[in-house]
Amino acid sequence: MDRKTLRKIVRRGLAAAAVLVAAGWLAFVPSAKEPPYTFITAWGGEGSAPGLFDDPTGIAIAGDEVFVSDARNGRIQVFDLDGRFKRQFGSPGAGPGQLGRPMNLAIRDGELYVAEYFNDRIQVFGLDGQSRRLIGKAGNGPGEFSAPGGVAPDGGLFVADFYNQRIQQLGADGRFERQWGTPGRVGIRAGEFNYPTDVALGPDGALHVADGYNDRIQVFDRNGIFRRKWGGPFAMNVFGPFKGWFATVTGVAVDWHGNVFAADFYNHRIQKFSPEGAFLTSFGTPGSGPGQFDHAIAVAVAGDDTVFAVDFGNDRIEKWRPVGVASRVSFKAGQ
Amino acid sequence: MNMMKVARRMLLAFSLAAQTNGATAAPTAYQLQVDGLACPFCAYGLEKKLGAINGVASLATNVKDGTVTVTMRDGVALDEASARKAVEQAGFSLRSFDAMQSAPQAGGRQ
Repeated sequence: MDRKTLRKIVRRGLAAAAVLVAAGWLAFVPSAKEPPYTFITAWGGEGSAPGLFDDPTGIAIAGDEVFVSDARNGRIQVFDLDGRFKRQFGSPGAGPGQLGRPMNLAIRDGELYVAEYFNDRIQVFGLDGQSRRLIGKAGNGPGEFSAPGGVAPDGGLFVADFYNQRIQQLGADGRFERQWGTPGRVGIRAGEFNYPTDVALGPDGALHVADGYNDRIQVFDRNGIFRRKWGGPFAMNVFGPFKGWFATVTGVAVDWHGNVFAADFYNHRIQKFSPEGAFLTSFGTPGSGPGQFDHAIAVAVAGDDTVFAVDFGNDRIEKWRPVGVASRVSFKAGQ
Repeated sequence: MNMMKVARRMLLAFSLAAQTNGATAAPTAYQLQVDGLACPFCAYGLEKKLGAINGVASLATNVKDGTVTVTMRDGVALDEASARKAVEQAGFSLRSFDAMQSAPQAGGRQ
């Protein structure tokens, strides 16, 4: 083969590779349909005093209050919507009212549902901090948990059963109703899970699952039928930093429009999707300054579309607003 | 008492003393190197499995270094096989296992 022929082959090969990359980019990296959100404020810092955190891991909103899981401090802290400390409850331990690594939170009908990773149970509190009931115990049988990561109540409740690789649905009395996934078996196909971390219900009752290490969101309708999944090419455990891709999903929330917000842990950002899973926008960059995250772990959306996100590594909470409706911008460093 | 008897008793006393010293001098802390500890779901899972081992007094995880320091109750040793099993149950691989002669004074997140 002479040099001319070789150069021709190399040129054609490079052109074909460029076409493939461009096609892959167009097919698998969507463009933003909305502007990014505006950073409003942040609060927290590392410690055990009121208002400080030692591994914040979950968040939920009720009216004008923000509830935060403070995992290593074994407590829930409550703030107003501007980050002013209001109260706290819980202490490390396994008794009623005590907490063993509280993770993702959910609120419904004036009750706070806490997934307790160490205690293998869901604990339900009144919003005043009174423990009302305990649901589940350690194990891999029906109604048992191995490190629950998140919970979504709807009268009954759905639980992301992390080490059991499944989602469980329980009735109002805590009795097992059904499950998705197989205990102990990791899978990447639809309806299978790879360490699910959180669950959230849409306004239509659709179940959204943060399928953590499959780097995707899975959605099931209210009858439990698989509807869709997204996150990277074919949503089959391909992680990456691109728009619409994930690098471990650790929290999911659905707003009243049905839009889906996902905490994209290793990409240090929050991503927003339409109810159908189309990428809309993302916000947050790596770091410790205003509007930056050191691993975004959880997210919640208030009724006025304000987004609250948990900045795990910086031990703080961040508040964001859609562009055009932000009222003020500030940063409370070290608080 | 003849000299042979005295010598045997002295030898026995030395042997018992050595065993006793051996027990109290057993490492009280161990450092485990594990990959992928940045995610708290992973780190807590590992702490949970290691904490269930009999004799573990406390754990300190340093997610940035990917290390877990396991401090044992006095006189209780941690064997590598038990540590490896716990690490694997938590979904990780144990990269290294090192005994420390004294428990660390500080460091890591408890």
